[in-house]
Amino acid sequence: MNGQVLLRAENIHKSFSGVQVLKGVNLEIRAGEVHALMGENGAGKSTLIKIIMGVYPKDSGDIWVQGEKVEINSRQDAQRLGLAVIYQELSLIPTLTVMQNILLGQETQKAGLLDRRAMMRRVQELMDRFDLHLDPNEVVENLSIAQQQTVEILKSLTVDAPLIIMDEPTASLSASESERLFDIIDRLRSRGVGILYITHRLEEVRLLADRLTVLRDGENVAVVEKKDYDPQKIIRMMIGKEITTAADRVEMKRPSGPVGLSVRNLCRKGVFRDISFDAHHGEILGIGGLVGSGRTEVLRAIFGADRYDSGEITFDGKKIASTVSGNILKGFGLIPEDRRAQGFIPLQSIRKNVALTNYDLLSGALGLIRSGQESAMCDRAIRDLDIRPNLPSMPVINLSGGNQQKVVVGKWMARDLKVLLVDEPTAGIDVGVKEAIYQILESLAASGVIVIVVSSDLQELLRVSTRILVMREGRIFKEFCEGMITQEDILTAASGIDSSMEVSDE
Amino acid sequence: MNKNSRSQFLKSFQKPLILLAVMLVMVILQPQIFPTLNNMLSILYAVSIYGTMICGMIYAVLLGGIDLSVGPVAALSGAVTVLTIIAMGKTGASVIVGVFLGLLAGSAVGLVNGLIISYFNVPAFLITLSTQSIISGVAQLTTGNHTIAAMEPASFTYIGSGRLLGVPVPIYIMGIMMLLTYIILNKTVFGQRVYAVGGNRQAAQLSGVAVKRVSTMCYVLSSLMAALSGIVLASMNQQAIAKAATGYENDVLTAIVVGGTSLAGGEGSIQGALFGALLVGVLNNGMRLMGVPSTYHTLVKGIIIICAVAMDVYAKNKNSGLQRTRLTGWMKRAGKGKAS
Repeated sequence: MNGQVLLRAENIHKSFSGVQVLKGVNLEIRAGEVHALMGENGAGKSTLIKIIMGVYPKDSGDIWVQGEKVEINSRQDAQRLGLAVIYQELSLIPTLTVMQNILLGQETQKAGLLDRRAMMRRVQELMDRFDLHLDPNEVVENLSIAQQQTVEILKSLTVDAPLIIMDEPTASLSASESERLFDIIDRLRSRGVGILYITHRLEEVRLLADRLTVLRDGENVAVVEKKDYDPQKIIRMMIGKEITTAADRVEMKRPSGPVGLSVRNLCRKGVFRDISFDAHHGEILGIGGLVGSGRTEVLRAIFGADRYDSGEITFDGKKIASTVSGNILKGFGLIPEDRRAQGFIPLQSIRKNVALTNYDLLSGALGLIRSGQESAMCDRAIRDLDIRPNLPSMPVINLSGGNQQKVVVGKWMARDLKVLLVDEPTAGIDVGVKEAIYQILESLAASGVIVIVVSSDLQELLRVSTRILVMREGRIFKEFCEGMITQEDILTAASGIDSSMEVSDE
Repeated sequence: MNKNSRSQFLKSFQKPLILLAVMLVMVILQPQIFPTLNNMLSILYAVSIYGTMICGMIYAVLLGGIDLSVGPVAALSGAVTVLTIIAMGKTGASVIVGVFLGLLAGSAVGLVNGLIISYFNVPAFLITLSTQSIISGVAQLTTGNHTIAAMEPASFTYIGSGRLLGVPVPIYIMGIMMLLTYIILNKTVFGQRVYAVGGNRQAAQLSGVAVKRVSTMCYVLSSLMAALSGIVLASMNQQAIAKAATGYENDVLTAIVVGGTSLAGGEGSIQGALFGALLVGVLNNGMRLMGVPSTYHTLVKGIIIICAVAMDVYAKNKNSGLQRTRLTGWMKRAGKGKAS
């Protein structure tokens, strides 16, 4: 059974409203292999998976499952063919038991009633066959994330000749939980299950993958066998520049301004540790690293939104406040990672959203709002940031993503800002507005503001930063503060491959 | 854009229009009695007690919460006020102290509600359902389950039964409270924070809003207004009883929801709630004038709530069409980006 081709996708094309996302991609997964799929954000990985799973229709191309040409038009189709995805977010029903979750939609009935004993037998068989043991009667919400993942895996194993697609499965797992997952993957492989493993983490690929497909800009770059595995080469394949030209190299500078924000030995158990760095007035400090490396958490801790266990943060020599409102008064601002959930009040107008952080400046006697100043502030933000449409009364939910982000920026611009913490500034924003937001950040820095930018978009990180820290597994792994660097350098550091250790701490 | 602002315009006048339409029907059906000044005043008088309660509960609803304890809080405050007045010998000064202690007792309940809901993160429904029961018990203990008459001093009965320029005093009280609530919600920083917390708690927190403090304050205000209306009610009835405002939370919620305030929080207005209250008041009045047996009143009210909520949901679904146009707009831009 091993070696048989489980799934073959050939020449898959897909475009979204005229933009080609997949340009003839091929993918082949065999029974009993772990096949890694790699590529940068936007390379087309998730589009490909969604086509295989019947979420998106493909424009052209063919898919074969176990030698038979198939049309997959829905989730149900994919499930019937033995294809299952395990997403980063789990899709279990927390209040049901392990058994109920595994057999959801495939319950055994007898005379119109559930046949619990037959179901229990089936789950027990499944657990025995793959050597994955859990208490079938345990309620899922009482399980750890790793155990819940095991339930998802078991759920996808109820079919014959299963193919499991794992999308960044270790993102929310601890190191030891990851090890256990790798163990499970090994076991599944030895029992003939095909696994498509999507990850950004090179070391996991080295550990697990039998073969590896690299995508870039919607095209296949290569299929690499385990014996030919070379991390540096794969990074180059993902970024796509064999010889980096001068334009792709960006010069990092040692900051010239005086030290403003100083972070010393910041720790939060299980999240980040020993975070020490200085940020200087007038610089844009980029923080790179993989998702889950602790970047967002460090920003939030500095801002006062989350607690930390130990360490010290000072600004211009003085200890900063431990609350959000205290730090805002001292000139701190945060542009959060998830704009929709954390950035703005959706039903409120542009005017009210811009004013939200600035009522210390806008309130008069008895807490009454100085309405004229409030509108003037909004008009200024709309003009300076070119927010469209320029209607102060428009609810922010009705704006485009880019303009929503401008409103979020706008509420900080109206203040005497000293430190702006920015998390994924342009996620889901179109190119034109991206550049506008970079220019805003640059003009802020030029006026002496400390700007700290966390981004997963390497191009963006290089575009805006004058200096870059790379975080890895909750620590600062490397600092780039001089010379020319490329995307490759950052990705290499983020993946933990580095020989010239020079962790920052002047 | 134009279409959007026109529908926005229609939306803001939708409620007065419905109210006017219902009133017009009543004028046609009962031309002799309905459109008289006396009848109008009696509608307002009937609405005044829970109209005052609305001015508190709306904060809880705007937060995305609810306050089910307003009825018993009103009863307790009425009892505290009346008992204080009696204990102090029914003097003019005793009225002031009594009202003050009544308001204080009510606010204390709100503070407990607010602290538990905000700092222990317990659903408001659960906590206020419990305090509803607890305070009802406390009110019974306070009154000893007797009806306590309060027919003097005149300065006390004036609150609920007096008239100023021919208009009953409770109508003034409701009017002033509505105006105050309007100012607080629209013109003060606190009001903006209430909308912000109700609209997006996380974003409000990251914008420096003291979310827990704001939310606690909302429940205090809710109980404070309930206490005030309880005192007016005791004065109106010239007695304090433990079951005084039982079931009022239903009328209050009806008015707020019919008035377009979203139970999910972050959206709504006191003007809307006022129209909701008046609509229910006019319907009650109309049914009484036409001799509809009171048995049918609750039935009709229920149907009205369903209609109002259905209209609200329909309008929201239409609004979510906006999101689709946003998406198509994005797609168009993406297409244009490729073409250029």
